[in-house]
Amino acid sequence: MNKIKSLMIAMMAIIAGVSFTACDDDDDTPSNNYTVYQNAVNQTVKQQKKHDKVILLVAFGSTWQQAFEAFDTTIEAYKNDARFKDYDVFLSYSSAICINRAAAGENAADGAEVRNYYAPPFWLTAFAQEGVRYSEIVVQSLQVIPGEEYTRVINYIKDFANNSNGDINDEYLANVTLKLGVPLLQDKDEDVNAVADALDALYGDKATTDVVAFMGHGNPDSYDTYKANIRYTQLEEALQAKGKNFFVGTVDMMENFKTHVYDRMKAAGLNDGTRKVYCHPLMSIDGDHGHNDMAGDDLPEGIDEENYTLAQLLALANEEGEVEDCSWKPFFNAEGSGFTCNNETMIEKGLLELPTVRAIWMKHTKAAIDGEALDYYHSKNPE
Amino acid sequence: MRQRLSLMAGVALLAMSHTLRAQTTLRTDTIPEVVVTGTGTQHLLKNAPVQTEVISHKMLQQYGGRSLEDILSGLTASFAFSEDDMGSQMQLNGLGNNYILILIDGKRIHGDVGGENDLKMIDPATIEKIEIVKGASSALYGSDAIAGVINIITRKHEREGLLLENTTRGGMYNDWRQHNAVGLRFGRWSSLTNFQLGHTDGWQNTATEHTTGTEPPIHDSRNKTVNKYTNWQVTERMAYEVTKDVELYASGSLYGKRIYRPNGKYARYDVHTYDLQYRNESAAVGGKWKLNKYDAVTLDVDWNRHAYEYLFTATTLMEDYEKSAGTLYYPYYPYLTGQTQLQSDQRRTMATLKGVFTLPKGNRLNAGAEYRYDWLKSPTRVKGTTVSDWTAALYTQDEWQQNFRNNMSLHVAGGLRLNWNEQFGVRLTPKVSTMWSIGQPWRIRAQWSQGFKTPTTKELYYRYVRQMSGTYLYLGNTELKPQTSNYWSVGGEYTHGGLSVTLTAYYNKVKDMIALVTIPNYQAPAEYIIQYDPVRTRQYQNIEDARTMGIDANVRYTWRELSFAVGYSYLDTEANQYDTNHDRMHQVTIDGMAHHKGHVSIVWAKDLKANKAAHASSPGEGRGRLGLGLYGRMSSKRHYQIDGDGKGYQIWKVTGNYEFKIQNSKSKMPRGTLFRVEAGVDNLFNYVDKTPHGLHLGTTTPGTTVYASLTIRFNQGKKITNPNYKPTKNLNQDEQD
Repeated sequence: MNKIKSLMIAMMAIIAGVSFTACDDDDDTPSNNYTVYQNAVNQTVKQQKKHDKVILLVAFGSTWQQAFEAFDTTIEAYKNDARFKDYDVFLSYSSAICINRAAAGENAADGAEVRNYYAPPFWLTAFAQEGVRYSEIVVQSLQVIPGEEYTRVINYIKDFANNSNGDINDEYLANVTLKLGVPLLQDKDEDVNAVADALDALYGDKATTDVVAFMGHGNPDSYDTYKANIRYTQLEEALQAKGKNFFVGTVDMMENFKTHVYDRMKAAGLNDGTRKVYCHPLMSIDGDHGHNDMAGDDLPEGIDEENYTLAQLLALANEEGEVEDCSWKPFFNAEGSGFTCNNETMIEKGLLELPTVRAIWMKHTKAAIDGEALDYYHSKNPE
Repeated sequence: MRQRLSLMAGVALLAMSHTLRAQTTLRTDTIPEVVVTGTGTQHLLKNAPVQTEVISHKMLQQYGGRSLEDILSGLTASFAFSEDDMGSQMQLNGLGNNYILILIDGKRIHGDVGGENDLKMIDPATIEKIEIVKGASSALYGSDAIAGVINIITRKHEREGLLLENTTRGGMYNDWRQHNAVGLRFGRWSSLTNFQLGHTDGWQNTATEHTTGTEPPIHDSRNKTVNKYTNWQVTERMAYEVTKDVELYASGSLYGKRIYRPNGKYARYDVHTYDLQYRNESAAVGGKWKLNKYDAVTLDVDWNRHAYEYLFTATTLMEDYEKSAGTLYYPYYPYLTGQTQLQSDQRRTMATLKGVFTLPKGNRLNAGAEYRYDWLKSPTRVKGTTVSDWTAALYTQDEWQQNFRNNMSLHVAGGLRLNWNEQFGVRLTPKVSTMWSIGQPWRIRAQWSQGFKTPTTKELYYRYVRQMSGTYLYLGNTELKPQTSNYWSVGGEYTHGGLSVTLTAYYNKVKDMIALVTIPNYQAPAEYIIQYDPVRTRQYQNIEDARTMGIDANVRYTWRELSFAVGYSYLDTEANQYDTNHDRMHQVTIDGMAHHKGHVSIVWAKDLKANKAAHASSPGEGRGRLGLGLYGRMSSKRHYQIDGDGKGYQIWKVTGNYEFKIQNSKSKMPRGTLFRVEAGVDNLFNYVDKTPHGLHLGTTTPGTTVYASLTIRFNQGKKITNPNYKPTKNLNQDEQD
């Protein structure tokens, strides 16, 4: 009897397999694929669930090895922290391409080093599945400023709380506690000062004799959500209030490109030929921007890399005042800049790799846990 | 005059049949080439009013190319390739595949990925010869003929009875080409079936990735220089001779290709979660009505489909849209291993009616009408719906020839095409080419012609949303004009005895080139702005222009069994291109341009019938032919805006072949069976461009490779007698005109 039963199950499996592979692009329904994929996420959560509460860290994502390691370290830091001992910890990417590549490749084939940074909606649904149903879900944004990317994090929670896919038990949703950990520089005083203190403690020595320039991402002017770009300026002010040569520029924020950073250095009279410019990414991880836009060797077309001056570069500035296609390193090192900037002055570290800065994100997580649950039913973007 | 034209047409047909005969009769003498591409009418190569470059069957056989890319870059100086996942990245005198029209037996090929045709679809073993006409030819051929036209003439089954043929070519990197043909001709029916299979494992010239600044170096990347692929094709053509003058045919084909992409451990560099897959289908019916010996009317109706898909090799989240509704957007739609996502399904239906008519007073008229309907389904790029576009065209071309005293003659061909497109309306495209023959050895040619490229259905109807720190909205534009060009060329030719020298200077100016341009949001349709709230909107517009100019020189010399050829191409380009990163126009040289390119070949081929004594033991059993060739191709540095220039290179190749045909009916093998063995060493000096992945290469060629191929052909039955066959002396008369 058992044999017949297993035979029937095997046959059903084969039929299911055949009909599944037989679907071509016109037949496969979203529900099938979503179910299969969601089941994989569900399994991951089921297998790893140890506690009744969960923390989901949300980053944009990266495919850089250094970034993978920074995220690993961060997860470990959360897991080893007594404040979060009752919580499971998972990390999510919002970039699909980064998710795809991190989970595939040779390592996946070998069964080693597979990093499943599923997208936030899948994690959240998995947290709500029957048999898991965390009583508390804390989503921690790993963004630096409360800008464009942060609004996406908020929207994931909003969509989840409103059961927009209709696949979550409404009773569970009505009772689960949802918390949101804010970005690194959420508060203009407390957070900005805390980050300034941490960075000063690490790099204050360098900024006493030389110059330390941080490179943030920033939002383009047309997309400066909540005017969050101002945090970069506030951070620079806080750092300089310590009487040190700290500067904070960005890749995308208007009026705060490297050329503007240079203008401020020059206005402070620092370009006397004696100082080095140390560059440091002001991003959660050190990825593309850190390695290319900051520490790369890019120079605009037509510039002789062996022999060029700052005046030549500045003459190529666009109407927004930025010299495009030019990395920070060769820019600050240009003849006539009055600074030295080279591979030795590139500090290739993301903020998550700095335990004292990481601690501020973790403090936000703790604050979220201790604070009141937010009502996402009524406000998509909580004030 | 009429007599002269008759003679020429006769000669043309003669030479055509002659070329085919040459395969089987193992002649070593030079057979005058007949070309059709420049004017759509037959001319002896040297008498063609439009400068035409020919890669003859003999050259193809001797060269033993592994692909069309190999053949075009090895036997001409004007082409450049830099093969990648998206295609061959072909350039002809500086302009890319978008501006090159590729024909197979006069019919335009169908299907592209990002403007790149899949040249691997064309099996070298089926090619009879290749004609290349540089410059604009849109008056005759319509859209895309801006940089030039490549017409691939395939081999036909023109004998009675049965043809069986197999060619198997194997080379290093598991490079295989299998070609099989079965031909039948009984009474009024004939059929030719081809099956081809191609495969290469691809190769990796370097395991180093281009890493910048302080990034740790990577020396164990899995990325290949050229990826592994497998493709196959079945084609069938059936014909029925209704009367001596009327033939009807039906044909069809199926094609499939998979490009395999490697998987390494560096997520940022060498991890891919999907392979690429093509599926093509085609069907055609038509007929030819010969009005007399020289004039004919043809009608062709073609349907083609080209589907391009991602085939997932790992679970992959993709942006996707609800398949039925076409409106629901999924930022994270999971595809599972083994599933496919359709990128584009391009379908085209074409009907062409054309005729060639001999008119009084030295005129020959080539006129026709064409209707083309394009249909596109691209769920991720043209949101959820299908789109279409149609073009109707009338064209006419008159060739007029006048002879003067002292062997001087003037040949003028003027053409005009009237195009009527659903979107851009009516457009006229003219062309004038002249050839002045000053005495026997000298000819001067001059040409002015216009080219155009109809906006593609994708350019007209693109709608794509990308989430990338804000929503980016990409839009098509139904207001697009065709991209147009003006081409001028002047050239001289000297032909005497075994020597032929041609020199051509050209200037090609292309304007209204289409590019994606950032537009203010208020210029986009309001409903999209409300729906997507984009941070940036880009739309296809006619904004770019380019000019290419250069000199092409070719010298060929034949002396007894030796033939020597050298070609050189000088090119200079300039373009005003839109820089999407910075939202501005800038003046550049066209990516991939090399100022200097050349090729050289020395071929020795001998008919071994004189060696009968050696076969004394089995007199007259068969006749053989031996050929040896040395080929070189070279290019100076290729210029690129970013990611480095491609290095200059020179690559040499030796080939040898031996062909043997059973002629003795007493032999155990059937009479007429042909064996052909080819072997060669490519890239003799093991030149490898080891530029790291991510930077531009001068050439993607692997190091030294060895190949060998064997052809067995069994041909039963007589050659079809051509009613237009003329004795050889007519050919000579034409030669002496």
